[in-house]
Amino acid sequence: MKLRKAIYIFLGVLSMQALADRLYFNDLATPKSLDDLRAIQEAMQSNLSRAREATVCLQIGEGSGSGVIVSPDGLVLTAAHVTGGVGEEVTVVMEDGTEYQGVSLGLNAKTDAAMLKITDSGPFPFVKYDKDDATKLGDWVFSLGHSGGYDKARGINVRIGRLVREAETTIQSDCMLIGGDSGGPLFDMTGKVIGIHSRVGASKEESMHVPLREFQAHWEELEKSDFVGEGPFAKKPVPGSGFLGMMVEEDSEKKGLRVTELWEKGPAEKAGIKVGDLILEVEGESATQELLKSSLGQLGSGQKILIKWTGGKETKEKEVKLEDRP
Amino acid sequence: MKSIITSIILSSSVLGNTLPSEQRKTNKSMQATLSPVQKYLQESSAVFYDSKRRVPFVYGTIVGSDGLILTKASELDEVEEFYIRIGAERYKEPTILNKNETWDLALVKVEAEGLIPVKLDGNSEVELGTWTVSNGASDRKTRRPRPGIISANKREIKGGSPAVLGVGFKMEDDKITITKITEDSGAEKSGLEKGDIIIGFDGKEVGDDKEFIELLKAKAAGEIVKLKIQRDEEVLELDVELMARHKLFGGPQSRNDSMSGDFSERRSSFPMVLQHETMLSARSVGGPLFTLDGRFLGMNIAAANRVEAFAIPVENLKSSLSEMKIASGL
Repeated sequence: MKLRKAIYIFLGVLSMQALADRLYFNDLATPKSLDDLRAIQEAMQSNLSRAREATVCLQIGEGSGSGVIVSPDGLVLTAAHVTGGVGEEVTVVMEDGTEYQGVSLGLNAKTDAAMLKITDSGPFPFVKYDKDDATKLGDWVFSLGHSGGYDKARGINVRIGRLVREAETTIQSDCMLIGGDSGGPLFDMTGKVIGIHSRVGASKEESMHVPLREFQAHWEELEKSDFVGEGPFAKKPVPGSGFLGMMVEEDSEKKGLRVTELWEKGPAEKAGIKVGDLILEVEGESATQELLKSSLGQLGSGQKILIKWTGGKETKEKEVKLEDRP
Repeated sequence: MKSIITSIILSSSVLGNTLPSEQRKTNKSMQATLSPVQKYLQESSAVFYDSKRRVPFVYGTIVGSDGLILTKASELDEVEEFYIRIGAERYKEPTILNKNETWDLALVKVEAEGLIPVKLDGNSEVELGTWTVSNGASDRKTRRPRPGIISANKREIKGGSPAVLGVGFKMEDDKITITKITEDSGAEKSGLEKGDIIIGFDGKEVGDDKEFIELLKAKAAGEIVKLKIQRDEEVLELDVELMARHKLFGGPQSRNDSMSGDFSERRSSFPMVLQHETMLSARSVGGPLFTLDGRFLGMNIAAANRVEAFAIPVENLKSSLSEMKIASGL
């Protein structure tokens, strides 16, 4: 017992020490000498390889954004407008080109915060994030991301700057960002993630990031795949708005639902369902007209419905992604 | 694949505490901090002025004390006449000695002596994240330093030959077959047609597309190539004028381009570049790239987009310069 107590005290002292170790150049109005600039450079470079290892390219459908791994089991912080929704399949690409599968968790449509989880097993390289909201206006920062998409020869793009504006749900830096950087990490000079790239202003050195405190305010909700808030960064699925593109009738032998008509290039047809096939199950239960109708009534465009069907020879089961009504 | 970023918003929508603008990365107080490096820019940069409009349109890098300057060739094509400033001195009637299409370089000579050239014996080995200094702005007397950092791996920038015929082609039955003719191109004007098979290039026989591309890469826009083609049973010789790729296919092409402001028209197909994050425009390339210690790393050759600027590494600059000097009889 005594030993454990001693360790707790020791850890406490260490973390206080960390707070006292504020990097001196952050408190200069401007670097006064080339040596000040060199100190900034060295601080950044000492954290760069770890930061690069944890920064990933996210490929979702036709789009490409960035993200950063913050736990050894593959929790990734990114932007809501990158994942676009909950439960999306994502290809996670490391700087060296290694690919993993992932799925988007929750998001905040108001602030642009989002999470996703790598579903392959780890451990993955990860970085720490700012839990104490310790950054201040004027702090030196660096920004990583897969600008314009993954480029193996180029690798991750590094940018440097200062925190030039702080607001409640946004922090602004003068690092330069471009398409593809969205969702990528903004680091302080100790190598902690302090923000996630969100959007840019009209001038080149005007970049907005979601501060980590916005992630922390909704951490558990994001982790359990909640759609938080309303705003411009993601569209909440409207129940009943999902379109499957399939007409069915009760099968004469009551073994399921017979497909009578398919919308050309609709979700059902794209999933491989054919006219004449027999739908056996919807969302894991025996298929009936009522069940299909009520399931679709709860789902919106972009969400998925689990369907099991047979074409006679083989039986298939797929999550079919619903679309907007044509 | 499209890159995701939310639309450009007005900064006024972000209220809160703001850092005074003079403390930002590229503003005035930072220029004062960089003043020890400014002298290298001052000594070894040339500023090219459009004689008609009397405004600077590109920079140059001094490579010979007797007035030899390297600059970005494709930017020279944009003006009728130019003069040059080095330090506060004005040099009239510069001569273009030679151009190198591969690197988009032009070797220019002014009547001068005792200039301080950049050191071409160094190397461009430099760690990611290292501070760099480029020409940011200029007045008649003074070059102003703009900070940046080395921001990605040194690499080749692909992009096909800089000068193009205006054809699409592919290998069909082991023959170079024209599949597309671009409107208003030299190919269209020459009478080249879809389905033509290319068998000769400037008197040489060509058999495959790779060889054909290599021959094209060595050519400059404005040059005429003699293409020998087979059309059905006929063999024809056509004179085709090459055009600059960025002129024929130019204009902003992606969303990332449209948010990148004034980027260099020629920004691809360089055999090797250093990439840095410096806020440059088409008008601020051509000058030298230094470290904080005044070590010459290379010559800025393209403002590629909002976040990427390219420089020709010093080793490559040195060997191209030797070739260009020989070609101009120096």
